[in-house]
This record gives sequence, C-alpha cells and structure tokens, in this order.
Amino acid sequence: MRKARAVAVLGAVCASVLAACAPPPDGRTVNLYYAPEENLQAVVDRCNERAAGRYRIVYHKLPREADGQREQMVRRLAAGDAGMDVLGLDVTWTAEFAEAGWIREWTGAAQRSASAGTLSGPLETATWEGRLYAAPKNTNVQLLWYRKDLVPEPPATWDEMIAESQRLAGEGKPHWISFSGAQFEGLFVHYNSLVESAGGRIVSEDGKRAVVDAGAVRALEALRDFGTAGVTSAAMNNAMQDDARREFETGQAAFQLNWPFVYPSLQENTPELARDVGWARLPGVVPGVPSKSTIGGYNLAVSSHSTKPDLAFEAALCLRSPEHQLFSAINDGVPPTVESVYEHPSMAEEYPMKDAILEALKDPGVRPVTPAAQNVSTVLTNLLAPVAEIDPAATAERMRTEVQNALDSKGVMP
Amino acid sequence: MAAATEGERAQRRLGWLLCAPAALVMLAVTGWPILYAVWLSFQRFDLKYPDQREFVGLDNYLTVLGNGYWWTAFGVTVLITVVSVAIELVLGMALALVMHRALVGRGLVRTVTLIPYGIVTVVAAFSWRYAWTPDTGYLAELITPGGAPLTGTGSSLAIIIVAEIWKTTPFMALLLMAGLALVPEDLLKAAAMDGAGPWQRFVKVMLPVMKPAILVALLFRTLDAFRVFDHIVVLTSGAQDTSSVSVLAYNNLIKGLNLGIGSTMSVLIFLAVALIAWIFVKLFGTAAPGGDDGGRR
Amino acid sequence: MADVGGAATRARKVKWTVLDVVVVVYALLPVLWIASLSFKTEATLGDGHLIPREWTLENYATIFSTDEFTRALVNSIGIALIATAIAVVLGAMAAYAIARLEFPGKRLLVGASLLIAMFPQVSLVSPLFEIERVLGLFDTWPGLILPYTTFSLPLAIYTMSAFFREIPWELEKAATMDGATPGQAFTKVIAPLAAPGVFTTAILVFIFCWNDFLFAISLTSTEASRTVPVALQFFTGDSQFEDPTGSISAAAVVITVPIVVFVLLFQRRIVSGLTSGAVKG
Repeated sequence: MRKARAVAVLGAVCASVLAACAPPPDGRTVNLYYAPEENLQAVVDRCNERAAGRYRIVYHKLPREADGQREQMVRRLAAGDAGMDVLGLDVTWTAEFAEAGWIREWTGAAQRSASAGTLSGPLETATWEGRLYAAPKNTNVQLLWYRKDLVPEPPATWDEMIAESQRLAGEGKPHWISFSGAQFEGLFVHYNSLVESAGGRIVSEDGKRAVVDAGAVRALEALRDFGTAGVTSAAMNNAMQDDARREFETGQAAFQLNWPFVYPSLQENTPELARDVGWARLPGVVPGVPSKSTIGGYNLAVSSHSTKPDLAFEAALCLRSPEHQLFSAINDGVPPTVESVYEHPSMAEEYPMKDAILEALKDPGVRPVTPAAQNVSTVLTNLLAPVAEIDPAATAERMRTEVQNALDSKGVMP
Repeated sequence: MAAATEGERAQRRLGWLLCAPAALVMLAVTGWPILYAVWLSFQRFDLKYPDQREFVGLDNYLTVLGNGYWWTAFGVTVLITVVSVAIELVLGMALALVMHRALVGRGLVRTVTLIPYGIVTVVAAFSWRYAWTPDTGYLAELITPGGAPLTGTGSSLAIIIVAEIWKTTPFMALLLMAGLALVPEDLLKAAAMDGAGPWQRFVKVMLPVMKPAILVALLFRTLDAFRVFDHIVVLTSGAQDTSSVSVLAYNNLIKGLNLGIGSTMSVLIFLAVALIAWIFVKLFGTAAPGGDDGGRR
Repeated sequence: MADVGGAATRARKVKWTVLDVVVVVYALLPVLWIASLSFKTEATLGDGHLIPREWTLENYATIFSTDEFTRALVNSIGIALIATAIAVVLGAMAAYAIARLEFPGKRLLVGASLLIAMFPQVSLVSPLFEIERVLGLFDTWPGLILPYTTFSLPLAIYTMSAFFREIPWELEKAATMDGATPGQAFTKVIAPLAAPGVFTTAILVFIFCWNDFLFAISLTSTEASRTVPVALQFFTGDSQFEDPTGSISAAAVVITVPIVVFVLLFQRRIVSGLTSGAVKG
C-alpha cells in the first residue's frame, strides 16, 4: 500500500518536472486494469501478501462505463503497449480481443485451474473457437423481482406477467413492469434472454452468420406485445437499469426485470418495501419451458504484450480464487463463477436469492460469441428501441441484413 | 511585383517570427494525426480483423454517402446546429448588452452568466436527463405532465437543443460583450445627438464595429454545434433518430473499431464544417481575419 | 442618456435589477438543480423535488475522503492555467502579426488554423496517443498541455486578431509624438485597448481546457495527470449498474468554484476600451 503510494507520488514528481521517466525497473510488477470495484484493492493486497514478493499487483482503475473501459484497453493494446498485464473484460469482449490477438490463450495448469469447478455458462463466455482466453472472475444474472403483497405467485411467462399487471391496473393498484428499454446494451440483454427462452438464435454457433430464426421472431413479438400493453411507465423507453431500479423503489411498479444489485439498494433506501419483494427466475416465453437469463460479469485475461505472462496468469488466478470470489461477492455484490462458493454459509446471509441465481446460472443464456459482439448489439438495439414500434417480420428481416453486415464489418453502424 | 523595400522585408520577417511559434505547435501536434485520419479513410481497416486491411480508394465514401443512417444523422445535426446557433446569437446579444450596460450588479451578472459554460458538459447533460424524466425530475411533471419527453423524437430534439443553448450561449455572449467594449462611446453619443433612436444606434453604430467579433462567435459556435455529441449520448443515446454525425462517427470509429469507415465520417464532417466556414467568411467579407483591407489601420 | 433626473435614475435601476434577476435565474436554475442533487441522500435522489427533503453533506465527504478528487483538481488547475497562458501568449503574437503586418503566408496560417479547429477531434486522439507514447508524454502534464494549447490556438488567434484589427493603432504614434516612450505608448494606450480581446480569450481558453474530456481520458492513465472531468468517470457506484449521481453532482459543484474565481478575476478587464477623445471611425 505504502509502496503503491510512493510510486504514485513519484509519478506526480516526474510529471511536474516535465520529464518522462520510465516506470520503476521492477520486473515483478503486474499491472491490473479493471473496472472501479470498491473493495478490489483489498483482494489485490491479499494476493500481494500471499505472493511474498514473487509478484506485486498494481490495480489501475478503468472508467466506470463499459464502453470507456473497452476504449482505453483497445487503444493501448492496438498500439502494442506493454504496460498492461491483466485485463478485466466484460463477458462479451473475449472473442473480439482473442481474434485481434490482444490476449493470450490459457493452457496447461493455468487453464485447468481456471476451469476447475467453474460454472459452464461463464466459462462459455471466456471461450473462443474452442480455446480458453480468460478466467471468469464474477458472473451475473437477471431475476424477476415482484411484489409479494400484490402478486401471490410469480408469473411463469411474459403473457402471464402482462395479464397480472393489467389486472392490477384494473384494480387501481401499483402495476408497472420496470424494464430498461433505452437504446443500449441493457435492452439487448433483455432481448437475448427472450430469444434464448424461446429456443431461438440470433447468430450461428460459429459466430459467422446472422440467423434470426423463428425463436428470435417469437421474441420480437413478445417484446412488441409488452411494449403495447400499457404496463410500463411512460419513461420506460429511455430507462437504463438504474432508472428501472429507482422507478421500482417509488412503489408504483409490481414487477422488475433486473440484476441482483437492486436488492441491497432496496433494503437500504426503502426497507418497508423490501420486505414485500420476492424474486424468481425470469418469466419464459413458451408455457412450460423455463426461461434462460442472459449472463453478465467479468473475465480476467492476460495481455499478449505482457512481458511477464507467467506472473500475470498466476496473479489473475489469485484474484479470482474461490476464496476471493466469496470476499468480492459479500463486499461488492458480484456473484461468483465457482459453484462451490454458493454453498458457503456467509453467502446465505448476504444473498437470500442465491438459489435463484444459481438455478438461472445453470441454464443460462449467453450473448452471441463473436468478435463483432459489440457491433451486433449496437445494430440490434437500434432496431429494438422503442419496443412498441417493433414490427416482428419486418424488423427480423432488417436484423438479418444488418447483423450480417456487422459480422462482416461492412456498412455503417447506426 | 516590385522589389521589396527594406521596410517591407522587415515587416515580413517580423510577421513570420511572430507567427512561427503558434504555427509550429499546431503543425507538430496535428499534422500527422490529420494526415493519418485522411489516409485511413481510403482503407478497409477494422481493428478487430487487422489482417484484412487493404486500400479501397473511395469505397468507404460511397458506403457512407449511400447510407440512410448517415443522412438521417446529417439532417438532425444540421437542424440542431441551425436552430441552436440562431437562437444563441439573439440570446447572446441580449445577454451581452445586459452584461455590458447593467447599471447594477454588473460583476455579478457577468460572472453568473458564464457559469453554464463552465459546468462540465456531461454532468449538465445528466442533470437535464434527470430533470426531464418523470418521477425523478421537476421539469417533466411541470411541463409535460404524464408524458416522458425524452422518448419522442421531436421533444427529445427540442430538449437537446435547449440544453445546447443553455450551455453555450455564454460563449457567444462573452465574445459579443468584448466586441461591444470596442464601440466608442463618443460615436454613440454623437449618434444620439443626431436623433438616432436606440435601434438605429444598435444597427448603424454598434453592429458595424462588432462585425469581426460576431463573425468569430458565429464561426466557432457553428463549428462546435455541428459536432454535438455529449448531450445526445447522455439524453437519448441516439434513440428515435436523434443521432448526430459525431455520435455516428464515434459509434463506428471507437465502439465499432472500424477505423476506415469512422475516419471517412470524420473527413466528411470536416468537409461539411469547412463549407459552412467558407460561407461565413464570404458573407462577412473583409471583416474576416486576414481580410485585405479590414480594420482601422 | 441625457436626462439625469433622480426618478429616471431610480426607474432605470429598477429596470436593470429586473433584467439582472432574469439573467441570473436563467443561468442558475439548472445549476441549482445540480446543487440540489448533491445535497440529497441516496434514498431521496430520485424524488424529483427541486429542494431536498433530507439534506446531507455525505456526498461532499465522499469525494474528499480519498485524495483521488483533490489530485485531479490540482492537475486540472495546473494544466488549464499553463495551457491558457501559453495559448494566449502565442496566440497574441500571431494575432498581432495577422492584424497589423503584411507578409506572405498570412492567409495560409489563418486558413490552416481554422482547419485544425474544424477537424473532428475524435479521430485524432488515437494517432496522438501513439505519438505521445513514443515520446514518453503519455500520462504527463505536458502530454495534455500540448493538445490543449494546439486546439485552443485557432480560437485564440481568431478572437484576438478580430479585436486587434479594431484598435486605432494611430493612437500609439500620436502618443509617441506627444513625448511618450514606445513602452509607455504601449502600456498606456495600446494595452488597455487590447485587454478586452485578450481577457475574453483567456476565459474561453481556460474553460475549454477545464472541460475537455476527450483528450484527458485518452492521454492519461493515472492520477499523475488525470483531470477532473475524467476523474468523475472513476467514481465508484454501489454496484456496476448504479451511477454515483450524488458524488458526481457534488464534484460538479466544487469544480465550478475555480471557474467562478477565474472569471471574477478576468471579467473586470473587459470594459469599454475607448472613452473620450478617441478616434472617429
């Protein structure tokens, strides 16, 4: 800690004398670039302690927003910058970074260690063309949050949920379904869950062709029906996840489709409301077929330009060890990727909904794995928003052309 | 051309000497990046697929210019630019007169007026987003009860323009106020004595002296408005056809990592802006900097 | 302006006061909304009230609890001041030459500098990053001061040359004929006339540097040179999906203070340059 500060001060001194000094000549420093996570420094400190001088991880924060994180890393990786060793990647970026040759494949003991006991969904997000390119650090999965005082049983399908909401509206009770319908990645997460739940596909398995099959069209119909049913607030079409959370906390909604971060916030801001809130697996599309919830989270990768890959792999493994995943789950609220961690007694206390999370994680939906994942999602969200204006057959047709263009890196993105 | 006299040669040397530092700094920092961006626009180059890089001539330009998204964004950008700059000019002139002439609290008004310009754009944009969202903001309930103004194309564009105007009118006002400071008081007095009313004094005396300041304010504000980005990204993420050309360029260049198409858009934006600048400079004729016989020498 | 009656003066004072109030409300209402957000508790942040129902200073305590924000503040002030000084000096030299002297290449300079102001900066940051990385300027103060100076020079040159052209330079000659030294003629006659343009430029350039986000996020990586607008992006919310809106609003309020101070110091200089006995057209 103190040493880190000394380095930082040194940096400031360098800058103020207008000289460019080289980083301290220390072959054991492992530079970690990761999103701001409040207690990650504690995990870093513990790993450094355990390493006993073999390596020393320095945690460099990346911007809060995912686009900003990717932009920073891509710019430096494309320039061949050797200053980055371990990278925190959103689950949708692995294929892109691997295809561009920016990150190293995990092989041998490191690969075995990263996969041992790890849930298959998160592992799938870290894999490209059959090879492992990252170690899943934490995962995430959306649940249905509902008012137990208004709805006796959680609805099993979207149709049921909409009908329930309309019934509540007729009775003059809170009835909104809080949903992040703005044109951004969060809308694509919802759509992907619907597609997977309907047994459909957007992109072929090898990530090369646009499919948008019958299931994907069925998902479009479900979204359109939802958008036109009058069951959301007027602001739904510009809401992101945090807006949906806030709307639900006002007490005007009966349902919310969102990540588990909403629960601690609910307990803190509106404890009386929190007592009435239950959770369940997301509603499905086809009656009798359980939903598949799109997984989120972060993976740890090692930069191809790293000059000390062995130390970097070792450090990454320490940061995502089951013990540290438990620590991060409890202190930063990020769900673990190693299944056995969920059985730990302290998890039950902090995560009353852990069984629902684990159940969803064992049968997850994964966003298309392709180097063009970002482009595919940009193109799709542009066609999806606002959801009430979806025209399933026509929208699907446009999706096929534009997704194929995105996969081929042709044409213009909206 | 006759041989330069000693005085002309001295003047020439002094001119070069005075301009050299600024010219060198600008050249050193931007020369290579600009050439590089232009060079990229003639290539197929997607960072995700580095080995597919090749020279494609004008293909990227044909792709962009033949694309519906581009022209929609272009229309939106022109609309935002024209409306916001026009309103800002009028509002900025009014503010400048108040700042310049106020009998009471002149320092207060001058300082306060500039605060919107000093607020970090992204933060201001977020606060507008909050204000215009039902339940979390005071404006949505007040002005459009029951609706969500940020979910319709027309109302979103109106809000984006209002946010732009509020944020950047001070820029206009400050430049115009400095222009007002150049208007000689005795000229105004003389005009008043000749029986000119306030409006005549404004048009006949103040405007001609302020012409160069107005040109600079209009020129730089237009260049800036044409590149509107932050407000759109924060307020609507470009949904319901509210993307500007800069948002599109960002999406292709930085998010999509398609350096070829993204650079092409940059060059096209540059050409559009250059055209606007050229029109302004022509309109204002000799009031433009470097104009042959402008100024009182 | 002829009548100086007491009643008329009072009426005009009232008129100006009303105008003042209109201007202040226009400029400050949205700012008050940001300030209000900064004083709200997390639970009442989204309640839509302009006046907080529960007041808290917690957001301010949060941003000052680590040196992350104060470091960024120091960087911002230092970088913006240095860049402004350099841009104003270099710009004034060039503007004087453009306004007063005839030399070949003048139009080229005027045109080229406008060209720089017009090129979309988003496509320039990546090549700039690569240059700075090679030169060791990445993540240093000069690494930001250079682009800031460069991209504010066009505005500085245009603004100041526009003003310098309007200065009646023959006054300088007249003063020297009246026995003033060239130095006196400059400081007593020309400098006051040039001041409005120079200080206007300084304010605009300072605010440009202060608010820049694009270069600051692309050309820095640590607290050694990270400026405030960028530091806001590194504030940690309670989770990946929650924005620390309270802390960001508090920071936005705090960083408006230096702007106010800077403007207060400089706006006084922007006064009517010519009073009596000046020129006639």
